[in-house]
Amino acid sequence: MIDLLVFFIAVSLLLYVLLGGSDYGAGIIELLPAGRLRDPQKEAINHAMGPVWEANHIWLILIVVILFMGFPLLFTTIMTTLHLPMLALLVGIVVRGTAFTFRHYDPVQEGRSQTVYTILFGFSSLWTAVWLGISVASLTRGFIDPDATSFHAAYIAPWWGIYPLTVGAFVSGIFVFLAAIYLIGETDRDDLRQRFVRLALGANIYLVLAGGLVALASYGEPDPLPAQFLRHPDALAAPALATLLLVALWWRIRSRSNVQIRIIAVSQVSLILLGWWLLYAPNAIHTTTGALSFYAEAAPTATQKQLLLALLIGSVAIFPALYFLLRVFKTEHNKPNET
Amino acid sequence: MDNLLAARSTMAFSLGFHIIFAAIGMVMPFLMSAAHYRHLRTGDESALALTKMWLKGVAIFFAVGAVSGTVLSFELGLLWPEFMQHAGPIIGMPFSWEGTAFFLEAVAIGLFLYGWKRMKPWVHWCTGLMVGITGFTSGIFVVAANSWMNTPQGFTWTGGVASDIDPVAAMFNPAWLHQTLHMQMAAIAAVGFAVAGVHAFLLLRGRSPDLHRRAIQISLLFGAIASLLQPLVGHFAGQRVAELQPMKLAAMEGHFETSTRAPLYIGGLPDEETRTVSWGIPLPGMLSFIAFNDVDAEVLGLEEIPEEDWPPVAIVHIAFQIMVGIGMLMALIAVLFFWIRRRPQFPPWFLWTLVAATPIGFIAIEAGWIVTEVGRQPWIIYEIMRTEDAVTPVPGMVYHFALFLVLYGALAAATVWLFARQVRTAEHAVKTLKPEEGSA
Ligand code: HDD
Ligand code: HEM
Ligand code: HEM
Repeated sequence: MIDLLVFFIAVSLLLYVLLGGSDYGAGIIELLPAGRLRDPQKEAINHAMGPVWEANHIWLILIVVILFMGFPLLFTTIMTTLHLPMLALLVGIVVRGTAFTFRHYDPVQEGRSQTVYTILFGFSSLWTAVWLGISVASLTRGFIDPDATSFHAAYIAPWWGIYPLTVGAFVSGIFVFLAAIYLIGETDRDDLRQRFVRLALGANIYLVLAGGLVALASYGEPDPLPAQFLRHPDALAAPALATLLLVALWWRIRSRSNVQIRIIAVSQVSLILLGWWLLYAPNAIHTTTGALSFYAEAAPTATQKQLLLALLIGSVAIFPALYFLLRVFKTEHNKPNET
Repeated sequence: MDNLLAARSTMAFSLGFHIIFAAIGMVMPFLMSAAHYRHLRTGDESALALTKMWLKGVAIFFAVGAVSGTVLSFELGLLWPEFMQHAGPIIGMPFSWEGTAFFLEAVAIGLFLYGWKRMKPWVHWCTGLMVGITGFTSGIFVVAANSWMNTPQGFTWTGGVASDIDPVAAMFNPAWLHQTLHMQMAAIAAVGFAVAGVHAFLLLRGRSPDLHRRAIQISLLFGAIASLLQPLVGHFAGQRVAELQPMKLAAMEGHFETSTRAPLYIGGLPDEETRTVSWGIPLPGMLSFIAFNDVDAEVLGLEEIPEEDWPPVAIVHIAFQIMVGIGMLMALIAVLFFWIRRRPQFPPWFLWTLVAATPIGFIAIEAGWIVTEVGRQPWIIYEIMRTEDAVTPVPGMVYHFALFLVLYGALAAATVWLFARQVRTAEHAVKTLKPEEGSA
């Protein structure tokens, strides 16, 4: 039963990155200079994100709920030792969600207020993405110390350092990559399409560099990442495959087949996550005194049963609904939206 | 401000903020669906204009509700880790169902807001109704989780550890029914009155009278029915509290000494030092009657328990007075509404009353939650775990609180500003409708 719950966490995490992540990426893209494409780009992003961002956001809430009901010790450990990154995350989530909605529903569609929304949306997207990366990296660094006595050791040391920051930079890159890939298929304008293709390729190069930086920075950690990967060849295979897929991506990216490009990119990102998951699962948090695993920290069986029941019944309702949503909005992108 | 107080204030502030948007998010979609239904059935163009006007409100309030709710689900752990450690497995169940409801709601709202030209009209109408149904359902689940903190059951507590956990029994604890009924009714009443108030104001300014009259008819019908039922449901809630949490009732009423034929105070300021209520008008025997349907029944007073277990009496009493006072007022306005509903025109004094009543439902909601939550103190889980034992060990919570004050303060100001902007533009748009389109 725990396996299934962990599976649901993994799937939610994956979907949060693949769907919610691209919404962050879109915000970051709007920060980059776009010249005369600024307005059409904003249009395309509003158009693509508007109907789905609410739903994309719920995967995060789902993860939180599964954690606090099914794995309470993991939840409370994260929420105490990573209090500050979580707070930073929340501020970002509040600002970007409202900035995005306000931008769309403000009856005044030009002028200063729109610029302010866009800037807020962009910076808070970047900010939140970086803190997401920092938080995730902190879970497995082994600096979390539940018995620490000093403020620094307890609440700063777990996430402080170059390594988590590089992971944050890497995660932001993944989000930009996903967003650029999805957006290629969301516009009919050739110049805009070209821009998204260039952004996707740029994000590729950035990711290779940032990945290198992550590996390099990890030499300042007790257990450098390359060494960890060498101990887990299966975990290494996944990101290696993702890198190989770059060839396929570069070959197809200028083609007109949006579906193929998306499938390749989604596989790449999924593989990177898979590699990370294989490296650490079933341990969720590494502390100074050892690892906390999903198996050791699960809630009592009765709770697991109810949680699983809710998730299964929920899936039966949610997946068809999501399918319907995507079918309605993602099939013919050239029809105008009406609000 | 010590850590505990800062954490409590943060929680209270975040919840007090969220509940406003949550209530709007739960009820507005129903109002919108009612207007939309009218348009689809009769082709009434002003009903369509109204639907679109309300829809924009739903969209912004929904977004602020969603982000402030996300904050709350984190804050349960950020502020009360020791509580969540034990309570998570017990009351996680309603939250997990709520998650499902949110999901469907988020999908439905995407479909409704953006799907005008992409679905058959009635399918589209159904997605709007689904937003309301799923939002309403999620509200029921969260309040059920909260009610467990008042009347915890579904586990055995030994040596600070819960065993024999039964999440279903925990959700359907003795307080869940009165709390969910009362809260959902409160949301309908408050939102119905607030919407009617805004449209009454616009009507008084002489803009598109048909549209605003229709808006008041729809929203106040919801609000008035709920407001008439609310005192009855509140009375039921009071009786349940008398039975389940007698000390909360005692604090609500400023009732210090156990007595038969206990008086009910109208107004009054309880003083914990002297154990008296000053400036109140006592109605002898009424408290006994309200709590147990018998003027001679014995009502336990706060003296039964040590002072360190008392909730803050004055706050709870005053909040309760405010809620009940507003409840009576709303019921009165509801009666007036049914009396003059069919007149060809609302008299200006009635419209001004509605304008003045715009915020009162929300004030009653806030007051009601203060009764429930502050009245539960010093317990976070009633008679099981103290709030002071549940608070986070992270120091400096006062900065966390200050950060949220600033963040939510700015957000509230921005929301009000955007809302005003929308109302102004919507007015303008309606004015420029062709005459035959503008009238019903
Ligand atoms: C529009 C809002 C509104 C109005 C007009 C009223 N209430 Fe209320 N009341 C609430 C909104 C509310 C609430 C915010 O929804 C609460 C907080 C927790 C809950 O379940 O409902 C609440 C709680 C609450 C409680 C505490 C329940 C508990 O702690 O378990 C009692 C005893 C009452 N109410 C009684 C009344 C009475 C006798 C009213 C007479 C008119 C009344 N309420 C009007
Ligand atoms: C949205 C409406 C709600 C409002 C306005 C509200 C209000 C408050 C207030 C005023 C406090 C502070 C009490 C004090 O410390 O003196 C509080 C505490 C708290 N509330 Fe609520 N509440 C609401 C609903 C809920 C719900 C649905 C839950 C969820 C399960 C909840 C969980 C808590 C917790 C965990 C605390 C902190 C512990 C405590 O102070 O006892 N509340 N709330
Ligand atoms: C009486 C108390 C509460 C009621 C009635 C309530 C109701 C709602 C409703 C109807 C929504 C949907 C958003 C909207 O329509 O505006 C919402 C959003 C949310 N609420 Fe609350 N809520 C309450 C308290 C809480 C508490 C205590 C928590 C957390 C522990 C919470 C967590 C959330 C979350 C995570 C969302 C976002 C879901 C989304 O993105 O749509 N709520 N709430």
